[in-house]
Amino acid sequence: MTTSSHAAPALTTTSGRGLPDRPPPRRRRRSWAPYAFVAPAVVLFVVFLLLPIGYAIYLSFQGLRLAPGGAFGRRVQVFVGLDNYKAAVTDPEFLAGFGRLAVYGLIAVPFTLGLALLFALLLDHPRTRARRFSRTAIFIPYAVPGVVASLLWGFMYLPSTSPFSWVSEAVGGGAIPFLDLPLLFPSIANIAVWGGVGFNMIIIYTSLRGIPVEIHESARIDGASEWQIARRIKVPLVAPALVLTGLFALIGTLQVYGEPTTLRPMTDSITQTWVPLMTIYRDAFTRDDLPLGSASSVLLALGTVVVSLLLLRITQKRAFGENG
Amino acid sequence: MPTPLGRRQFLTGLSALAAGSTLAACSGQKSSTGGTSPSASGSAAAAPGEKITLNFWAWGTSQPGLVKAWNKANPDIQVKHTDAGGGTDSSTKMLTASRSGNAPDVGLVEYTTLPAMIVGEVASDITSHVQDIKSSFTEATWGQTTFNGAIYGIPQDVGPMAMVYNETRFKALGIELPTTWQDFATAAESVRKADSKSYLTVFSPQEFGNFAGLAQQAGSSWWKVDGDTWTVGIADEASMKVADFWQDLVERDLVKVEALLTPQYNKELNAGQVLTWPSALWAPGVIYGAAPGQAGKWAMARFPQWTQGDARVAYQGGSAAVVTTSSKQPEAAAKFAAWINSSKQGADIQLGTGQYPASILGQQAAVASKPPVLMPQQEDFWKLASEIAAETIPSISWGPNVNVASSAFQDAMTKALAKKTPLRDALSATQEAVVADMRKTGFKVNG
Amino acid sequence: MSASTAAGVLTRPAARTTAARRGRALPTAVLLAGALYCLVPVVWVVVAASKSPDELFSTFTFSPGTGLLANLRDLFAYGGGQYGRWGLNSVLYAGVGALTSTFVSALAGFGLAKYRFAGRDAIFYGILGGVLIPGITLAVPQYLLLSKVGLTGSYWSVLLPSIISPFGIYLCRVYATAAVPDETLEAARIDGAGESRIFARIAVPMMVPGLVTVFMLQFVGIWNNFLLPFIMLSDQNKYPMTVGLYTLLAKGSGEASLYSLAITGAMLSILPLLALMLVLQRFWQLDLLSGGVKG
Repeated sequence: MTTSSHAAPALTTTSGRGLPDRPPPRRRRRSWAPYAFVAPAVVLFVVFLLLPIGYAIYLSFQGLRLAPGGAFGRRVQVFVGLDNYKAAVTDPEFLAGFGRLAVYGLIAVPFTLGLALLFALLLDHPRTRARRFSRTAIFIPYAVPGVVASLLWGFMYLPSTSPFSWVSEAVGGGAIPFLDLPLLFPSIANIAVWGGVGFNMIIIYTSLRGIPVEIHESARIDGASEWQIARRIKVPLVAPALVLTGLFALIGTLQVYGEPTTLRPMTDSITQTWVPLMTIYRDAFTRDDLPLGSASSVLLALGTVVVSLLLLRITQKRAFGENG
Repeated sequence: MPTPLGRRQFLTGLSALAAGSTLAACSGQKSSTGGTSPSASGSAAAAPGEKITLNFWAWGTSQPGLVKAWNKANPDIQVKHTDAGGGTDSSTKMLTASRSGNAPDVGLVEYTTLPAMIVGEVASDITSHVQDIKSSFTEATWGQTTFNGAIYGIPQDVGPMAMVYNETRFKALGIELPTTWQDFATAAESVRKADSKSYLTVFSPQEFGNFAGLAQQAGSSWWKVDGDTWTVGIADEASMKVADFWQDLVERDLVKVEALLTPQYNKELNAGQVLTWPSALWAPGVIYGAAPGQAGKWAMARFPQWTQGDARVAYQGGSAAVVTTSSKQPEAAAKFAAWINSSKQGADIQLGTGQYPASILGQQAAVASKPPVLMPQQEDFWKLASEIAAETIPSISWGPNVNVASSAFQDAMTKALAKKTPLRDALSATQEAVVADMRKTGFKVNG
Repeated sequence: MSASTAAGVLTRPAARTTAARRGRALPTAVLLAGALYCLVPVVWVVVAASKSPDELFSTFTFSPGTGLLANLRDLFAYGGGQYGRWGLNSVLYAGVGALTSTFVSALAGFGLAKYRFAGRDAIFYGILGGVLIPGITLAVPQYLLLSKVGLTGSYWSVLLPSIISPFGIYLCRVYATAAVPDETLEAARIDGAGESRIFARIAVPMMVPGLVTVFMLQFVGIWNNFLLPFIMLSDQNKYPMTVGLYTLLAKGSGEASLYSLAITGAMLSILPLLALMLVLQRFWQLDLLSGGVKG
């Protein structure tokens, strides 16, 4: 149908090779090309994302109810309308999970971003040494799978194997109760922060490197301190990268599952429904109530979308100016 | 140089992708029979010369040996063993797989999960296949897999409740072995006085099965069905009595509140700071796994009773082999399940790995076996075990939503212990959750 | 500018005062502290893997033990070599998955970036929206769908869902926009090249650094994925490293010796990813991530 409009000028001007303009048929050939390019992705997207979501939504309106037959009756799937949604929204554990997410997120997100920004700025600082080593070292946690990271930190928290508790016990205090409230929240958030700082640091750092050197050189010459340069020049200029990393951190927070699950066998303070995804897993698998799990998932997904869009909306004005 | 090649290349590529996926789908088709076409009537015997392959999902150290022995003796029915995880993980996977007809032919299922597997149409009725081995098990044992007159699984092992204790430490601290729960409380006091780092035992809010057994010993019946009406007794008087008893111990710091078998717990076990584990006959193997250095220091004794002289205990744990509704070879599957759980060879393998067999044959063979590695010095271990097995309460049954009860119990108990609210209330909360869930599904529940 | 620079150089105080030295040391110190924080658990796991099961809970955390070789031997012997299989499985899932995913993302990204066609924005934002769906929502319906074609429990069940990567497509689009000039494409078209040849011969070579980044991100993502294989697979021999280690850990509560295996296994599992990242370091660029946001 339409070809890219910016190609038109190229067609009508001589390309410098002395070749005549091409006849229209080429436009038609090019018009199917983009569809062919995106086809594999679209097909896979439909099959593995849209269809499952559709099925999950369909399931969320079903329920397992008793029908006659067998020793106690059998469970069959029937349409139950909004029952599952009502149950999910009124389930105190599910809602409490969101409350815990809020506390967890209030620790994890600022620390991840703050530390990532700090380290990125330090890497960009003219007088820093050991840059290569630090950058690599801080990036290493990214390579550690969530389950393994939780395992490692779990052992670092447990009184009997924790080096921190060893120190505190050596100086006369007791073991540090990392895995009991209230330290539990920072402890779990720490695992996510540890894992996420490196990746986000690199994103912000490469964004920093993209700032033309002249800008902060001239500020330096004018006598501004590094700190002032960072605050007034660098940070505002990497705001888009900060938004991006903030978005990742937010989505990661809403979907946290691996850390509490792995730590659960080590402490009594983590219940089976500590975060919404754990409740969903429990409903869908342990309680074999897939429809309820689907309804809760739909709610969680909707919540994630809403929060993400809100974040983008709010920051778009500030970070992008008119380009939003 | 027009290049219709471009289009052709693309379409070729796309169709190759599509074809590849379809091909994969076809070749990936799983069937539980290897190469034979299952006869429509489901009669087991494959045509002579043809081989049947069965899938078997089970956890535990005895399974590989059992499967190997069967495969050796039955070249025409070969079994493929998969460890799909522990009890909960395995049944969860089986439920999901069953939805699409992909559950294994035979699966190991804990007694507590069996009713849920029946309601979920995973376990099939095998009454007609097991008539000839009915006599291999006691009526009480069959009671764990029989519902409304239909048999849904073949018992593999049972866990009559008993108490393992650190005999060496008992002697060292001068503690008397308790035979009643009152004595148990007294002993707990003495332990704390003798060594401030040690505890008589650990109380964990995660131990649903253990607590249920304690309640059942006290006379409670957590699920009862009469016709099609259920009665849920999680918050009845007997259960409350048990809750109050442990609450008292917790409040007085006579038992330690922590989860079992964590690195922390294992460390304490190794250091002799946890002195007993009131659980079941399979406990020695578990303790040994966590603390091999304790071999020779532990012994097994009867479970404490509420009334001196009583001899009644419940079960904790234990599982049965079920033939799933996905199986295309139910008779062959039933044959395999029956053999591993009731043959002499199977029983020997079970005993060798520390499993207490459910079959009469196995329990008799047990008496002649060597004691477990944890207590080589206790010569009469198996004799005592068979006495205890004979004292189990026969009428215990589980309900269709044990998984709901278990997770509700664990959460309620954890919260109660953390906030120091009465454990009674945790039981009531569990009861409410269970009844509500059953009613929601459509079961008729009393009260 | 040079005049004022010269003046600045002359008038800047000598950087040898204590304050200045402290100023130089502080950023480095903070950065090194951060590096230490990130390295401590890694050091811990290496040390812990060297301890035999007895030493694990009884010796000081950071004192090396004597059991490394024994642990390694036991680890690879466990289950008849299951750990090795898990490693190979992870390589398979991550390698093939990331390669295919990069290819699909490159195709889609290029198409979205360099052509204008009906539905382009709808497709792009639609695909991007996929990032917001929690994996667990998709896991079971994906399982049910795959079981309808009999693929569950097979290698495909983990490979196929891993191919679609909304984030990869986003990155490829950004990179294609930035790295492949329209004029080059036009010139090629005028020379008579077909679209597919343009893609393969011209666009892809220009996009290589971005593609390496996408490959690496996908590789790490698939390697570290736990939930998808956990739900799809039941045969332990097909497990990737993450699920395998979780199984070891779950069983380890009953058998303390398995803890040592799990720890040793965890230590080894980090190495391939580390190696990959260090090797590919000079190739990948993450500036297209931040660059993309600028628009």
